[in-house]
Amino acid sequence: MDLTTNSMLLTWTVFTPAIGLTAILALLALRPLLRLSQQAVDEASRAIGLMASLAAAALGIALWADFDSGTSNLQFIHRFVWMKSWNIEFFIGVDGLSLSMVVLTGVVFLAGAIASLPWWGRLDDHHPHFSKKRVPAYWILFLLLEMGVLGTFASQDFFLFYVFWEVMLLPMYFLIGIWGAPTRKDPDGRTRGGPYAAIKFFLYTLAGSVLMLLALIAVYYASGPATLADGSQAQHTFNLVHLTRQAHDGIFVKAGAILGIPFVHIVFVAMFLGFAIKVPMFPFHTWLPDAHVDAPTPISVILAGILLKTGMYGMFRFNLQIFPTGVVWAAWAIGILGVINIVYGAFVCMAQKDLKKLIAYSSVSHMGFCLLGLAALTPQALTGSVYQMISHGIVSPMLFLLAGVVYDRAHTRDIEGFGGLAQKMPEYTALTGFAFMASLGLPGLAGFVGEVLVFLGAFAAQDGIFRVLVAISALSVIVTAGYYLWTMQRIFLGPFNHRWEHLHDMNWRERLTLYPLAVLTVIMGVWPLPVFDMIRETLNTLLASMPAGIAG
Amino acid sequence: MLTNLLAIGPELVLTLTVVLVLIADLVIGDRPARRGSLAVLSFAGLAAAAATFFLLPDGGPAAFGGLVSGDGLGVFFRGLFLVAAFFGVAFGALSDEIPVERFGEYAAMLLATTLGMSFLVQSQNLLMILLSLELVSLPSYVLAGFRRGDSRSSEAALKYVLYGAAASGLMLYGFSLLYGMAGTLDLSAIGPALNAKAAGGSVGIRAGIALAALLSLAGFGYKVAAVPFHQWCPDVYEGAPTPVTAFLSVGPKAAGVAALIRFVVIGFGASVATPPAGGLPWPVLLGVLAMATMTLGNLAAIPQDNVKRLLAYSSIAHAGYLLMGIAVGTPDAVQAVAVYLPIYLLMNLGAFLAVMAVRAKTGSETIADYRGLVARSPALSIALAIFLFSLTGLPPLAGFIGKFYLFAAVVKAGTPFFYVLAIVGVLNSVVSLFYYARLVKAMFLEASPDGAPAVLVPVPVGLLLAILAIPTLVLGLWWSPLADLAARAAGIVG
Amino acid sequence: MTDPIVSAMVFYALAAFTLVAAGFVALSGNIVHSAFALFATLFGVAGLYAYLSADLLAVVQMLVYVGGISVLVLFAVMLTSGLDGPLTSNPTFRLGGGIVLMLAVAAAAFVAATAVPSGVESAAVPTTAAIGDALLGAYVLPFEVVSVVLLAALVGAVTLARGYKGGHR
Repeated sequence: MDLTTNSMLLTWTVFTPAIGLTAILALLALRPLLRLSQQAVDEASRAIGLMASLAAAALGIALWADFDSGTSNLQFIHRFVWMKSWNIEFFIGVDGLSLSMVVLTGVVFLAGAIASLPWWGRLDDHHPHFSKKRVPAYWILFLLLEMGVLGTFASQDFFLFYVFWEVMLLPMYFLIGIWGAPTRKDPDGRTRGGPYAAIKFFLYTLAGSVLMLLALIAVYYASGPATLADGSQAQHTFNLVHLTRQAHDGIFVKAGAILGIPFVHIVFVAMFLGFAIKVPMFPFHTWLPDAHVDAPTPISVILAGILLKTGMYGMFRFNLQIFPTGVVWAAWAIGILGVINIVYGAFVCMAQKDLKKLIAYSSVSHMGFCLLGLAALTPQALTGSVYQMISHGIVSPMLFLLAGVVYDRAHTRDIEGFGGLAQKMPEYTALTGFAFMASLGLPGLAGFVGEVLVFLGAFAAQDGIFRVLVAISALSVIVTAGYYLWTMQRIFLGPFNHRWEHLHDMNWRERLTLYPLAVLTVIMGVWPLPVFDMIRETLNTLLASMPAGIAG
Repeated sequence: MLTNLLAIGPELVLTLTVVLVLIADLVIGDRPARRGSLAVLSFAGLAAAAATFFLLPDGGPAAFGGLVSGDGLGVFFRGLFLVAAFFGVAFGALSDEIPVERFGEYAAMLLATTLGMSFLVQSQNLLMILLSLELVSLPSYVLAGFRRGDSRSSEAALKYVLYGAAASGLMLYGFSLLYGMAGTLDLSAIGPALNAKAAGGSVGIRAGIALAALLSLAGFGYKVAAVPFHQWCPDVYEGAPTPVTAFLSVGPKAAGVAALIRFVVIGFGASVATPPAGGLPWPVLLGVLAMATMTLGNLAAIPQDNVKRLLAYSSIAHAGYLLMGIAVGTPDAVQAVAVYLPIYLLMNLGAFLAVMAVRAKTGSETIADYRGLVARSPALSIALAIFLFSLTGLPPLAGFIGKFYLFAAVVKAGTPFFYVLAIVGVLNSVVSLFYYARLVKAMFLEASPDGAPAVLVPVPVGLLLAILAIPTLVLGLWWSPLADLAARAAGIVG
Repeated sequence: MTDPIVSAMVFYALAAFTLVAAGFVALSGNIVHSAFALFATLFGVAGLYAYLSADLLAVVQMLVYVGGISVLVLFAVMLTSGLDGPLTSNPTFRLGGGIVLMLAVAAAAFVAATAVPSGVESAAVPTTAAIGDALLGAYVLPFEVVSVVLLAALVGAVTLARGYKGGHR
């Protein structure tokens, strides 16, 4: 495979947010000189942020347009030696899997950016909206986060990946902590709110990623010689392509055991834990509902839409690509944990009173399908897993945007407190119904394709246990339908609660985010081929590298 | 003779500077520019000392009959100490905790400490180690008690003296036993001599060597504030004037670490790659100390409400990370320590400078008074956040690179014990995030209390913050020059 | 030191004298008595040095510790503690802990002294000239460092003890 630099398009995509960020910083630095008013700086920051996210999304689409789906080789490679002493390369490039995530990142962040604009339409000044608080700082962190996510998906060097992976943490901490819900005391006396949720998110993810750091170092020292971008020979390497090749030659299988556990197994587990916390996999999921409930709407959108996918992506890119034998070894455990995610998430949803918490747990449930698909290791299951990632990346932002719509108006998300809203907000009701249907996997909408493929693929898996797992998780579909329909009924149907007389229907900012996502949901539901084309070769290559007798 | 003198050129210049500062202080008297001119004189002395590095004899031979070593480790750390002294003097000049009429004494004491540190890291002889350690300690005691009107400062100084005296007494006893057993004071000869004795030795011989070595460790452990010699640290850091705390937390600590490397790694030749030196399992011994130090430091930092006390416990934890590197003892690990310390210097000094700036305006050091600081002083808050997250070890900040080198060395050691050590180490990083983030949370996520004063940062303080913050950012993305210097210090490359 | 029996008797006499005096320092309830006993202890140590033919060290011990420091200690005791109350020390003496500690130190010293053969050669010759040579020859650097340590200590002591300009405390 040719690994020389052949395009700067991906580099531009990844660093477009950085350009916007720099522009806002420059604006702040020049502010005293230009005597700009606070409002002017705010408006300019919003404009720059929006432009940068738009540009990143457009560049992502441009990558797709130029992408050759007939090969699993990396494309749009930009590679040079970054740190000679550690053989670290700046090495970015995309295959089908990365590209699908890069495109999704662009779309989700664009939706998030639009949702971060202040209210327009009717203004409600009694409640300070997060979008009017410390605007330049918000956009700087927003763009930094986007750069981190794009870099994570584009990196083909383990060290570079780790740096981008960690770059995602800080902005997220501040975005949830500063612009999220203020600190409050829950009725049960516990302190909750943005700051609590932010540090919980931070600690959980950091705990996972430090284990990954150790795995990264162990992999480095176990790796063999490789040629760097400048043609020099290195003793060890972080280069994922080289690592994958060496893995297939069995270098890690032969590596010495750590703490009495075979190298592949312990490194696999360390990395898997790091990713699983992000997914989030049961029992590491508890940060997610807290983070979602107290994050501002666009940050929930990004968190659900794309940040959870970084965990799944990591499992595909590292656990599956470098340690296929590890996946086979752990397939049972991953599958069972995936099913626990699916079933447990669905049942917890039944008990939720907070709309956002309900959607958060539904994310836990839906990400379980991705885990199950990964564990089953059949072509359909893997495709279904990736497809589920993408469809969840479209549908869950819709759900959070919809939760934001009602929260912006009513300042509560208590499901029990509504009733009969359909009379007052028909358009909102229709869209919510649509999103719920998409999320519960109605045929013809995006969620259906992924789930069905995972079920079919897992059912066809060699190991009989997966049939049992499929049977159990299929039951959850009923539960899912149950909680969504029950929620519909409680919020929109029944007698109208006259407390909500002042609510008005959707405004244009909200329409601008929701309708495009709804259209994508339909397209992905009826015409999944473009996405299949994009990821097919990559997944085939991954499966072809499986130990004999597993694939198929 | 000239070669000998050139080999200690920086120290000669420093001695001269100490004397000149004392005389100038008397001559200048109460004239208005007293603080400034004394600071400039100190800076000039430090610059001149730095310039004499170019006169150091090539190849770094041992000077004075092997009493001092001219190796890369010594040169690297002597340079680092000059930097630390620069910031120490600058902090003192900018702080209202050091009254103007006593600034001359402050600068002289600080430079004398630096002189001691400088001798310490190149000492190849037990006698020299002991004397230079005293030269580090004595002025440090005075510095710790510099706020004379303040009972906490006096208490800090007293505690420091008592613990220090006990520790150096133990170390002296250990050294005398080592001398008695090995028949030499020369560090490079002690290791082989003891190895020879331990090789055919009985349990008694091993016990004797172990006793001597452990007693000797007390002195170093005290300087780096490692468990169980750390009790003085929080009180001294809290009670001493902030510039002094800042200096003590980086200077003498780094000197202790470097001296420990020389004693254990170079003297005894101990590392995971070599058989037990002098019959002692040094790597495991130091590894256990490292685990205890970082765990205790991090856990004890969590409930602290005083920022200086919090940073004191954090510095204990960082001593634990550094001990990890010494425990491994390979050239890679020494390089890792040498990469870590300059970065630690930057971020820790930066954090203390920010604390100093806040104290100057609010008169407070409690976390509660940092609430909403970002609204009152955005640049200062952002700088402090950078230092704190760097101390946590988050990429892309410099602190991550330091930790990466250390953990890489530990993982590379490749024994089960060191894998466990590495896991304990990274989990400690996660714990440390909790208390660093507490401060960040107070600054960024909470609202200012009513009537909290705005914190305007004076221009020189802002400049120093930038000097410290910019490398903290840049070294996280581009650290080749530092890694090369550190490799030279570790003797990996000529 | 020709007769080993005489030699041993001299040693044990000196050691006993030193130990008894040291015990008195620790156990006496009167701090002035303790100070005087310290005087005797240091004198006994000087005798041990002389016995080991470390002539210079013995003289230095006499001059510095017996002559200088003991007197300083006495002055300090007289000047500071006569102000109020009786001159007592050791209000709580814990025998058990003390004995345990003493035994531990003795065991450690015994192990260190007997288990490991000494690497130091000793000969019963006067050492003053040799020490003088060493101080200005091989050990000139530590000698000079000591002078810097003393300078720092001196300045430090002045810094801490100097009168206050503002006079507030």
